Amino acid sequence: MHPPSHALLRLSASALATLLAPWAGLAMAQDMPATMPAPAPACAAEPAAPPPAFAAWSNATAMDAATDEPGLAMASLAPGEAEKLTLRPTPDVHYLLRPEKPGGTVSFGGMARLQVAKAGTYRVALGSGAWIDLLRAGKPLVSAAHGHGPACTGIRKIVDFALDAGDYVLQVAANGTPEVTVLVVPQD
Amino acid sequence: MRLVSFSLAALAGALAFTPRGGQGTPVPAHAASHSLVAARVELGRRLFYDADLSANGTMACATCHEQRHAFADGNATHPGVTDEPGLRNVPGLANVGRFARLTMADPAMTTLERQVETPLFGTHPVEMGMKGRAGEFARRLGGQACYKAMFARAFPAQRGRIDTGTVALALAAFERTITATRAPVDQGPLPPAAKAGKALFARHCAACHTGPDFTDFAYHRIDLTPDQAERGLMDATGREADRGALRTPSLRNVALTGPWWHDGSAPSLASAIARHHLGLAPGATAPLIAYLDAMTDPTLMTRADLAMPATACGQPL
Repeated sequence: MHPPSHALLRLSASALATLLAPWAGLAMAQDMPATMPAPAPACAAEPAAPPPAFAAWSNATAMDAATDEPGLAMASLAPGEAEKLTLRPTPDVHYLLRPEKPGGTVSFGGMARLQVAKAGTYRVALGSGAWIDLLRAGKPLVSAAHGHGPACTGIRKIVDFALDAGDYVLQVAANGTPEVTVLVVPQD
Repeated sequence: MRLVSFSLAALAGALAFTPRGGQGTPVPAHAASHSLVAARVELGRRLFYDADLSANGTMACATCHEQRHAFADGNATHPGVTDEPGLRNVPGLANVGRFARLTMADPAMTTLERQVETPLFGTHPVEMGMKGRAGEFARRLGGQACYKAMFARAFPAQRGRIDTGTVALALAAFERTITATRAPVDQGPLPPAAKAGKALFARHCAACHTGPDFTDFAYHRIDLTPDQAERGLMDATGREADRGALRTPSLRNVALTGPWWHDGSAPSLASAIARHHLGLAPGATAPLIAYLDAMTDPTLMTRADLAMPATACGQPL
């Protein structure tokens, strides 16, 4: 990600904070929303059914994530279809762009293509708190929002992006386990 | 030349802050050379951004202490590697090298080297989850030739040993370079609104928010209800009278460290000011915020020597 320009620094700091809030608070800090977290609910052993928009979450199919650019040809996400990505140890992953939070050598990561046919806001649901970057032509996009997923469904976080039709690359970094489920859905 | 100037600034910061007030562990006299301090700062910076300091490699110091947020977080609280919710709002790190007390509720936490152990090994809550895994530092970092060389340069007297002690020394050396002394309140000029706010601040706030970092490092109870879960200083003293008392936070770069309050429950500076119950006259909040704005040193967010390093040992990371 690019640092804020010096032009911004001429603004007052609180104005700068206000300007950066949708950019930094939402695009960068994907872990929690900037509000008080609700107490974690006690969840049953079996995951709860996700909301209808994320119904495909429960039917994820296995797919190996790419570890380099050529591998992206074999790792494609389609909106509305959940994939359980098999990730690789971070040192084996050659990201197109260094993730902002790369993860240590003992973490896991990977990449996948995302093809979007129709412009709109898309929601990227993830089964962990891993860091994600969505790239277009090699550059990271700024997210529109982020937050927790629905409680007890297994959806850990959701990051929203406003996308044009076209090809994107989703980079998953700093995952604590070698698998993560991903589902991209258009926002209603 | 730009990189050189930043490095010198970082070094100057480390040297300036290291011996002050007995805070931190001074570099041993026989090794107190600029090059040694610079080597520790360089190593500490890399470690600060390295998630291998956490149990599953998902969390670095910088995961919560983000440069663009003045080394605070931008979230109310931040979960650790086990997803256990954070207990308190992540504080900014500006000028921590000269802080007399480093945490919100533990008066004994007075050195950066010791404080490092809280996120690394703490269990209340679990943050980086390294309790019982200290040997992993040597295994993970010692397996990398560049890290071995960096530890050898930074700790010749310890023969480049990689353990909790040297990791903490290096992190602390880097943290001492996170300095903010170029805000309008330091150098002027203050905008007119901030001048009005300065007078209000002196009258209503400066009893606690005093000194160069706008904190008295003392403990106060503010805006607490009887059922408040926050135990504050009581955890350290065991005294019921200390329940909910928390150290006055620094206000350095406060405009960029939101959300505010010890638990991140204030979404704006205005709401944080309101929760002090100061009895301000209508219209007084805006100039106060203008003065808080003037406490921002914008260089803290742009200094290259504080950012995630792109290279180590001449190789891209």
